[in-house]
Amino acid sequence: MNHRLECIDIGSDYCPCYLAELNECIVCSQLQGKEFCDCNWNGVCVYQDFIWSKRKAKAKRETIVADIIDKQNINKNLIILTLSVPNKMARDLNEPGSYVFLRNESTPSFFDAPMSVMYADEINGIIKIAVQINGPKTNVINSCGKRVFLRGPYWNGLFGHKYIKGTRNSKCLVILRGIAQAPGAIIINKLYNNNNEITVIIDKGKVEEFFIWQYINNFNLKIITTDLLSNDGQDILKKAIADNDIKLIYSGGSDEQHLNILNYLDLLDSKAYFAVSNNNTICCGEGICGSCEVQIDGQKIRSCKVQLDVRKAIERRVLHG
Amino acid sequence: MVKVVVIGGGWAGCAAALTAKKAGAEVVLLEKTDMLLGCGLVGGIMRNNGRFTAAEELKYLGGHELIEITDMCARHRNIEFPGHKHANLYDITKVEPEIRKMLLNKGIKIKFISRAADVVMENKTKIKGIVLDDESVEYGDVFIETTGSTGPMGNCLRYGNGCSMCILRCPSFGPRISISYRAGVEDILGMRSDEVYGAFSGSCKLNKDSLSDEIREKLDKEGVVVLPVPEEDVNMDKLNIKVCQQYALPEYAKNVILLDTGHAKLMTPFYPLEKLRKIPGLERARFEDPYSGGKANSIRYLSIAPRNNGMKVKGLDNLLCAGEKSGLFTGHTEAMTTGCLAGHNSVRLSLGMPLLELPRNLASGDLIAYENECIETKEGLKNRYTFAGGIYFERMKSLGLYTTNTDVIREKVERDNLIGIYDEKLV
Repeated sequence: MNHRLECIDIGSDYCPCYLAELNECIVCSQLQGKEFCDCNWNGVCVYQDFIWSKRKAKAKRETIVADIIDKQNINKNLIILTLSVPNKMARDLNEPGSYVFLRNESTPSFFDAPMSVMYADEINGIIKIAVQINGPKTNVINSCGKRVFLRGPYWNGLFGHKYIKGTRNSKCLVILRGIAQAPGAIIINKLYNNNNEITVIIDKGKVEEFFIWQYINNFNLKIITTDLLSNDGQDILKKAIADNDIKLIYSGGSDEQHLNILNYLDLLDSKAYFAVSNNNTICCGEGICGSCEVQIDGQKIRSCKVQLDVRKAIERRVLHG
Repeated sequence: MVKVVVIGGGWAGCAAALTAKKAGAEVVLLEKTDMLLGCGLVGGIMRNNGRFTAAEELKYLGGHELIEITDMCARHRNIEFPGHKHANLYDITKVEPEIRKMLLNKGIKIKFISRAADVVMENKTKIKGIVLDDESVEYGDVFIETTGSTGPMGNCLRYGNGCSMCILRCPSFGPRISISYRAGVEDILGMRSDEVYGAFSGSCKLNKDSLSDEIREKLDKEGVVVLPVPEEDVNMDKLNIKVCQQYALPEYAKNVILLDTGHAKLMTPFYPLEKLRKIPGLERARFEDPYSGGKANSIRYLSIAPRNNGMKVKGLDNLLCAGEKSGLFTGHTEAMTTGCLAGHNSVRLSLGMPLLELPRNLASGDLIAYENECIETKEGLKNRYTFAGGIYFERMKSLGLYTTNTDVIREKVERDNLIGIYDEKLV
C-alpha cells in the first residue's frame, strides 16, 4: 500500500492540473486510473472539480511580464529585484515556501529559473526576489532591463508547511545560510504573525551579506550571526537546539546543513517539529518533467508539488543524492 | 485491560462500542464528524416488518439500551405505511443526544472530528493502530470497522449524480477511508440491477415547515401521508437504483410517501424539485437532507469487507466489522444487530475465546449467515438484506422467523442460552 501523498496545489486555483488530465493526479485515486476513492484530502473533491471543469485542468499558470521597479546590486554575486505584479499574484506569493520562475524576455522557456520570494506586498502589488548570480540562467536575469518574464505562483519551496503554518504562541528557531535567507524572511514573518518567539541564526554564507536584515528587524527577534561551519558556529547551533521549549526548527540552506541539524535533534532527543528548504532541482514546477523526482521507500515522488517527510527526504538526498 | 478501537460512530459503531464496553474492554470510538449516528441522524424507521422481531431479539440478547432509546424517542408508534406494518418512527433530533449520553455514562471514550486516515500494521495480518488525519495514532488490541460504505464525494460522483451534501459532510470532515482496504484486504462491492456498482440511499427529507399546513398537521398526527404523483412523472425505473429494496415497491413510484421523523421523510432517493412542487401541498417544498435532494443522494455499498459470521474480517487477525461495512445490509436495526455482535466478539477475540455466532433460529443469526452465503454470487450482490422487506423478509416469513409475539422471541433466545449475553463481562 503506497503512502498517500500531499499535493501543495490541492484545493487551490490550480487544481485539478495537467496531471489530472493525464491520470497522474498526486492525490485522487480516481484520477490515477483507479475505480474508487482512496484519498485523504479534507476538502472539496478533486475528481468532482475535474468533472465540473469538463475534464480539463482548471487554471494554468501563465507566464506574465513583470516590470522591474528596482534592482539593487548588493555585491557582484547578489542582486535584489523589486517587481510589479498583479495584486492577486502578490497575495498568492505571500506564503512560506512560495517561488516563481523568472527569465529574461529574450531567452527561450528553458531559461526559466525557480526563485524564492523574499517579500510580497499585496496592497501595492510588489514582490522582492534575491538572486544569487552563479550560472547561465541567473546571468541573463541579471542582464534584464525594465522587464522580466514571470511564471507563478508556486508554493513548494519548503517541506513542513503545516508545521510552519500551525505553530502558534511557541518558541521557534530559524537557521538561515547564504541565499536561503531570502525565503526565510517570509517564514519569519509568518511565524511572527502567529505570535511565536523567534530566534534566528544567520550565516552570510557564499553571498557574504546579511541581506534580509531590513525585512525582519521590526519583529522583535533574537538574531545571532555566525559562521555555521566554524566550531563556534556549531556550538551556538547545538546550544540553540538544546532548548527544550523549542516547538519548531526551520533550516534554510544546503542538505548538509539540514542533516547537521537533524543529527543534533536526534542527539539531543529534541521533540521539535522540523521544516526545511526544498533543495531539489526544480525545473517546471508542475510535476511534469521529473527533474525534482526523489524516491522514498520505493515510491517516486515529484518534490516540486509534494510535501515530503522531512527526515526521509534529507537522509535519502545526502546518502544517495 | 483489552483496548478496543471502534472506527465510525454510526449505529453500528455505537452498538459495537456499547457491547465491547459491557464485555469489559476499554473502548475508544472514533468519529470523523461532530455527531454520532451517521446516516441514523436522518433515518428513523424502526420495528417495521421483521425489524420488530430483530429489535426484540436484540433486547433479549443484551443490546437493550439501543432499543430502549429508539422506543423512547419515537414520534409515532405502531403505524402502517405501504408495504410496512407496526413501524415506529424515532425523532431524529432526540436520538443522538440520548445515545451520546448513554455511551459516555458507560465510560466509553468518544473522539469527535477524529477521522481515521490509515493503519499502522504490526505485520501483514495484524493492525497495531489507526492513523488519524492529524497524524496522531490510536493504538489498540482489537479494532472494529464500522465506517459504512457511503462516499466519499468521488464515489458519489462516479457511481451517482455527484455530491448531494448529505449528513456525512465529506467536504467538511473529510473522506471515509476503508480501513480494511488500507490493511490490505480487498473490498466487496454491491451492485444495482443494471450491474453498476453501488446504490443510492433510499430516502431524502423535506423541511416540514415548507409543506402545506394540511400535510404538516396530518404528518404530526398520523406519521404518514401518501400523495399521488402526476401520471406523467411516474418513474418506475427509479426503484432499481435504490438501496432500500423494502421500499422498491410500485406504490413508491406512483405516490410520494412522506413519513414524520421530525423532518418529512420522502421515500425516494432524490426528486427533482420542479416535479415535486407540482404536487398539491408541496408547492413550497425544500430539501433538508441531503441538501441537494433534488438531484442526487449518497452512493452506498462500495466498500464491504469479507467477514465470517462472528463478524471478524477475513485475512486480518484483529479487525472486526459491522453495519454496512460488513455486508449488503440496510437499516438501523441491522446495524445494531451486527454492531452488538462485533463489539461483544472483539473482547472474545482478544481473549482467544471462540467467537459467538448467533444461531440461525434467530432472525439476527440467519440474516448474518444468509447474507454471507448470498454475496458469493453476482445475483446476490444485487440484493439487499434487511428484516424490513425485500427477499429477506420473505425468507423470514417462510422460515417462521418472523413473529411479533415477544414471548416466543424470548423463549427462543432462552433455548439458545443467550439471554443477556451482551451484558456478560468477559474480562
